[in-house]
Amino acid sequence: MNAIEITGLKYRYHDGTEALRGISFQVQPGECVALLGPNGSGKSTLLLHLNGLLPEKISAAGAVKIQGEPLAAGNLEKIRRQVGLVFQDPDDQLFCPTVAEDVAFGPQQLGLTESEVAGRVKKSLAQAGLAGFEQRVTYHLSHGEKRRACLAGVLACEPAVLVLDEPTSDLDPRGRREFKALLREIPATKIIATHDLEMAVELCSRSIILDRGEVVADGETMRLLADEALMLAHGLEKPHILHHLHPH
Amino acid sequence: MNEGTLQSRRSAPGFLHRLPAAAKLAGALALILIIVLTPRGQWAVLLTAALVLGGLLLASRLSIWFLAKRLLLLEPLVLGVAGLMLLQPDGLALCGWAMCKANLCLLTTLLLSQTTPATGMLRVLQRLRVPWLFITTLTLLHRYLFVLADEAERMRRARASRTFSRSRRFQWQTLSSVVGQLFVRASERAERIYDAMCARGWK
Repeated sequence: MNAIEITGLKYRYHDGTEALRGISFQVQPGECVALLGPNGSGKSTLLLHLNGLLPEKISAAGAVKIQGEPLAAGNLEKIRRQVGLVFQDPDDQLFCPTVAEDVAFGPQQLGLTESEVAGRVKKSLAQAGLAGFEQRVTYHLSHGEKRRACLAGVLACEPAVLVLDEPTSDLDPRGRREFKALLREIPATKIIATHDLEMAVELCSRSIILDRGEVVADGETMRLLADEALMLAHGLEKPHILHHLHPH
Repeated sequence: MNEGTLQSRRSAPGFLHRLPAAAKLAGALALILIIVLTPRGQWAVLLTAALVLGGLLLASRLSIWFLAKRLLLLEPLVLGVAGLMLLQPDGLALCGWAMCKANLCLLTTLLLSQTTPATGMLRVLQRLRVPWLFITTLTLLHRYLFVLADEAERMRRARASRTFSRSRRFQWQTLSSVVGQLFVRASERAERIYDAMCARGWK
C-alpha cells in the first residue's frame, strides 16, 4: 500500500489561477521525497492538499489517497491524524503562549488523557532537541528554535507521513545542519518542499520537480539534480555539493 | 516588540510579582467592586482604596512614571464618559466623582497587568472555567499582538526609508495605505493560523 497516492490532482484558486494541473505520483512508506520547483510552481498548494486543507470543498473524486484511504469530507479527522504538516512560517504554527502548551495542542485534539499528553510532549520535545524548553514563551524563541518547536508539535501527533514546507528557509548554516540531522532521525514517510537543494541531496533519495502546476520530472535525486539543462529550464540550478561529487 | 514592551521596564520583581496570579485577580476584582459600588459622597472609602493602591504600587517597585503615562493614554475614555455627566444638574461634582472612581479602577487593572504575566492570567481564567472559546480568542490575541506589531514596525521602517516628502498630507496618505496593508496581512495570517490549527486536529 502506498503512503501517498495522487492521481490527476487539479486545483484552481478563486482568482482563476490554475495552481495544479493534473498532478500524479505515489510515495512508498518510509520514503523521503523532495518536492522541488521555482516559486509559484504549486509546491505549497500541493502540500495543503495532503492534509485536506485544500480544496475548500472536497469532492468525491478521490484524487488524493493517504495510506490507501481516499481523502473525503467524512474522514478528514482520520487523514489529519496520519499527516503532520509543518508550515513555512513558524509564527503561523506556534499559536500557544508556551512551547509545552503548543506541543500539547495536537495530542489534546486527539483526545488523549492528561498523562498521555504530558508523555507525548516530553518525548517529542526531546526528539526535536528542545528538552527543557517546556515553559519558554514561543515568541521569545530564536528562528531555529521556533522551527524545532513546530516539528515537535507535529511529532507529538505521531503522524505516519510528515510534510514539511521549506523547513530550512531563514535558518543559519548551523540551524540548517541541526534541523537536517533531526529530520534524518525521523522514520516517518517524508515529503519536503524546499529550495535547499543540498538538503534534498543529503536527505531525499527521490525528488519530484514541479513547474507551473505540473510534475516535470520524478526520479532519483542525484540523477535529476545533476541534469544541468533540466534544472535551468525549471528555475533551479545544480547544487554546489554535486560539483564536488561529479567534477567536470 | 514583546510582552516586555507592554510592561514596565523597571518592573524588577517586587512583592506583587511574587503573589499567585489567582490571588491578584481576586484581589483586583474585589477592589474594583468596592470602588464601583461606593455610594456618592463616601470619599473616605475612595481615599482608603487610593492609599491601598499607593502602598501596593510602592511594594511592587513599578515605575510610577510608566504607570502615569499608561493612565494618561486611557484618560480620553474616562473623560468621554465622565464629560457627559456635566450635562446633568450638579454635573461638575458628579463628573469629578466618576473620574476618581474610573481612574482608581484603571490603576487597579494596570497594577494587575503590570505584575502578572498574561499566560498566568489565562491559566487562572481556565481554572475558573471561563468558556474555552473566549480563552482561545484571548490567547491568540495575546500571541499575535506582538507578531502584528512587529509587522507594522517593519512596514513603518520600510516606509520611512523611502519617505522623502515631509508633507503632512502625503504622510497621512501613506499611513492609510500601511494600515490597509496591515489589515490584509493580518487577515491572511489569520487564515494560515486557522489552517495550522486544523492541520493538528482543531475541531
